[in-house]
Amino acid sequence: MATDISRIRNFCIVAHIDHGKSTLADRMLEITHTVDERMMRAQYLDRMDLERERGITIKAQAVRLVHEGHELNLIDTPGHVDFTYEVSRSLAACEGAILLVDAAQGLEAQTLANFHLARDAGLTIVPALNKIDLPAAEPDRRAEELAHLLDRDPHDILRISAKTGAGVEELLAAVIAHVPPPVGDASAPLRALIFDSAFDTYRGVITYVRVHDGTLPSHARIRMFATGVESDAEEAGVMAPEATPVDALGPGEVGYLVTGLKDVHHAKVGDTITLAGKHAATEPLPGYREPKPMVWSGLYPADGNDYPVLRDALDKLKLSDSALVYEPESSQALGFGFRVGFLGLLHMDIVRERLEREFGLELISTAPNVEFHVFRADRMTVVHNPAEMPAGGDHDRVEEPVVYATIITPAEYLGAVFELCQARRGELVDMSYLTPERVEVHYVLPLAEIVFDFFDQLKSKTRGFASLDYEPWGFQDSRLVRVDILLHGEPVDAFSSVVHRDKAYTYGKQMVERLKELIPRQLFDVAVQASIGSKVIARETVKAKRKDVLAKCYGGDITRKRKLLETQKKGKERMRRVGRVDVPQEAFIAALRVDEGAKKR
Amino acid sequence: MSTSAEPAGIYVHVPFCLTRCGYCDFNAYAGLDGLKPRYLAALLREAELAGPGWAGTSFTSVFLGGGTPTTLAPEDLRTLLAHLRTVFDLGDDAEVTIEANPDTVTELSLAAILDAGYGRLSIGAQSFDPAVLTALERIHQPASVRAAVAAARGVGYGNVSLDLIYGAQGETLGSWTHTLEQTLALAPEHISAYALTIEPATPLGRKVAVGEAPPPDPDLQADLFLRACELLREAGYVHYEVSNWARPGFECRHNLGYWERRPYAGLGAGAHAYRDDVRWWNVRPPEAYLERVEAGELPIGGSESLDPSDAYLEEVFLRLRILEGVPASWFEPARYEAFVASGLLQDDLGRLVPTERGLLLLNELVLGLTA
Repeated sequence: MATDISRIRNFCIVAHIDHGKSTLADRMLEITHTVDERMMRAQYLDRMDLERERGITIKAQAVRLVHEGHELNLIDTPGHVDFTYEVSRSLAACEGAILLVDAAQGLEAQTLANFHLARDAGLTIVPALNKIDLPAAEPDRRAEELAHLLDRDPHDILRISAKTGAGVEELLAAVIAHVPPPVGDASAPLRALIFDSAFDTYRGVITYVRVHDGTLPSHARIRMFATGVESDAEEAGVMAPEATPVDALGPGEVGYLVTGLKDVHHAKVGDTITLAGKHAATEPLPGYREPKPMVWSGLYPADGNDYPVLRDALDKLKLSDSALVYEPESSQALGFGFRVGFLGLLHMDIVRERLEREFGLELISTAPNVEFHVFRADRMTVVHNPAEMPAGGDHDRVEEPVVYATIITPAEYLGAVFELCQARRGELVDMSYLTPERVEVHYVLPLAEIVFDFFDQLKSKTRGFASLDYEPWGFQDSRLVRVDILLHGEPVDAFSSVVHRDKAYTYGKQMVERLKELIPRQLFDVAVQASIGSKVIARETVKAKRKDVLAKCYGGDITRKRKLLETQKKGKERMRRVGRVDVPQEAFIAALRVDEGAKKR
Repeated sequence: MSTSAEPAGIYVHVPFCLTRCGYCDFNAYAGLDGLKPRYLAALLREAELAGPGWAGTSFTSVFLGGGTPTTLAPEDLRTLLAHLRTVFDLGDDAEVTIEANPDTVTELSLAAILDAGYGRLSIGAQSFDPAVLTALERIHQPASVRAAVAAARGVGYGNVSLDLIYGAQGETLGSWTHTLEQTLALAPEHISAYALTIEPATPLGRKVAVGEAPPPDPDLQADLFLRACELLREAGYVHYEVSNWARPGFECRHNLGYWERRPYAGLGAGAHAYRDDVRWWNVRPPEAYLERVEAGELPIGGSESLDPSDAYLEEVFLRLRILEGVPASWFEPARYEAFVASGLLQDDLGRLVPTERGLLLLNELVLGLTA
């Protein structure tokens, strides 16, 4: 039986990583007796392996808590800048948000960005300072900061410890008191927002939905607005926190739907579910957006024979990852592979890891790049692979994506932040003091400049205190050039990169120096060159190898020597040939590696 | 058991050393002197156990290697060789080599060793540069080498070989030239010169791995090799294997046996034996070796049977090592033409023979030819 709509509260928790969101959820599960004490474990809701390892939440999900006669739906939000759109859809399923801030650390850029998203979506904000039990906590100061941001009295900010449970009861009471109940028309045609979807091997596509109007019955012929796909839904239910089937989900309610679909691309986040046939709604809920990849990379199997395995693996992953896009491509140096688009570097990392772990693949990935718009005689070409960029001056102009970045830093590091952003071709938009000690700075930055090591640099220049968030901000004209890398005169397509003209020389020099160390000496001198068009901008030489022979070869050495030769022979077979030059896999992998730290966000 | 018409060799391993050198990964031990009596007895016993298997084979060489065989007493060495003659069909004119370290021999001991029948003396000189000797952790000084050669000559040795190692830390083209000149001044009949190789399982290997010692520079080693080729050629030595030179007629018959793929018996801890595409070897730790032999068993620790492709690969690389070369007809021309054009191989009337530069890149040649 559907709950009285006035007793429903749909809310989420906006918090920075490590500010205690999962712990707070755990306490709420306990206090509301949603999870039996004996079954309780830490970070209960963070189920996926990958989530646990990375300490972040990838898949949003909703859990129903029953407390003081109210149905509280806690909707989880992804905590990474790669998933801003997913965050916005989760917010669209809520009427309120707990703004949870670490009383020692204060506001972080991502929290702030998500707070803005939540406020812009019309959500009621319930602010709370967490970890007040920590010796380093500065609740008064942090309360000032939050009060300033929210334009409220510092005394309105709740102070809690998710760890000890102190203040959590009061927080739940505040949610019930301040967050408005949802509004919906039970008699209108069904409109349910998909705010997350997942793929289950046995049950197919499962969507997490928020019913706005009408009623979603357990078994019904449903239709997806954006894709137009119809299907027979098999089960509706709520997470409490385990999946519990219900007869129907009424207006304002949040739950899951086993859709009967077999491909997540048919049930996309942000899309609206309605009933098929004459009871269908005529208008979808607003805000749907196609997932848009921001970062591209070529993925190639280390063993060329694994190409079909990689293809099948991507096809399978796609079933459960609606943001994943790819198209086949081939490289002279790396053979057959795919150009894959990702939401960001973290998403890229997750996909790579899943491909390697779940499908046993060994992969070579090219350096990630952003999308470029190349204009030639008023015709625009979208380029996802640097090798496809025109080499010389046979185009009019090039555009690259930029982002609107929010950085929060202690005031003492402001200079360092400016310096870094200027070096990364940033344009200062504005800045404002959150408190006398903390500054919020906005920059427009080329996406290409921040996808690699920007965050690491920012952290190291501010001793870890600055935080960053960004959102897409369109495209802008840039003086970009394609830098090619040549081995013994042969261009290696996998090493081509598009960089800003002012940085081309530094980049080229770095690459040839790196490759000089990675390419084994051959029987002849190998020139390693970086060029723009036909102009060589950097050069190193891998000197010819002069000695490769075993000094001693007596009775017992002969076996060892033969085995050594056989190993060398196998190694040679595994090498890729670029013109006359043998290049080991490892050299490709190492030369294309993004600095590890760049991915940790 | 099949018999072989080819002349064969006997290798005897003596695992005792006064000290262990940092670069050496041979089956050799310092401080095991207490085992010597048992070890000698075991060698005699093993010969008896192995002998019947070699019935019908005639042997033309014996090689006592180590370790440092001259750490055994001359009378023990005499007993050993005499015993080998009773068990194996060993010709009177067999080449009998014993390895020695400079500080382990005196005129007195050498006289006894020569008299016992060890007619070829191979001395581990390694270097005439004190700094290089120190880097190699050798305990002797250049003067000891000169003294040992003089003693050998004094007691009538007419076949002396000096072993050299080049490319250790501190070695330069100058120091190596000096070592070669000092060596030539002693006029040995035979010279072995080895590029220092870093073996991972040695103290030096570990030092290099952790960055406490620099790895040898292969380019410098190449220069040092070419210098040796040049000076020894000028002095009239024949370069007959990658690391071996001799006055004409003084090539080491025993070692040539390995490279010509002739049979050899192996006695002692870790010693290898080979016949008809089968290679087998004794257990390596001296204690384990002793226990097996004392129990009346052949102390075999392992074996391998070469399939035709293994045998072919060995044939090719060994023939290239001894500059005998391989018939060009064995390969598609595309496999060797580039090597000939770039001067790594020369086509000597249908025989592909490595040049000096080619010897330095022998692994590449073998891989290119047999790939």
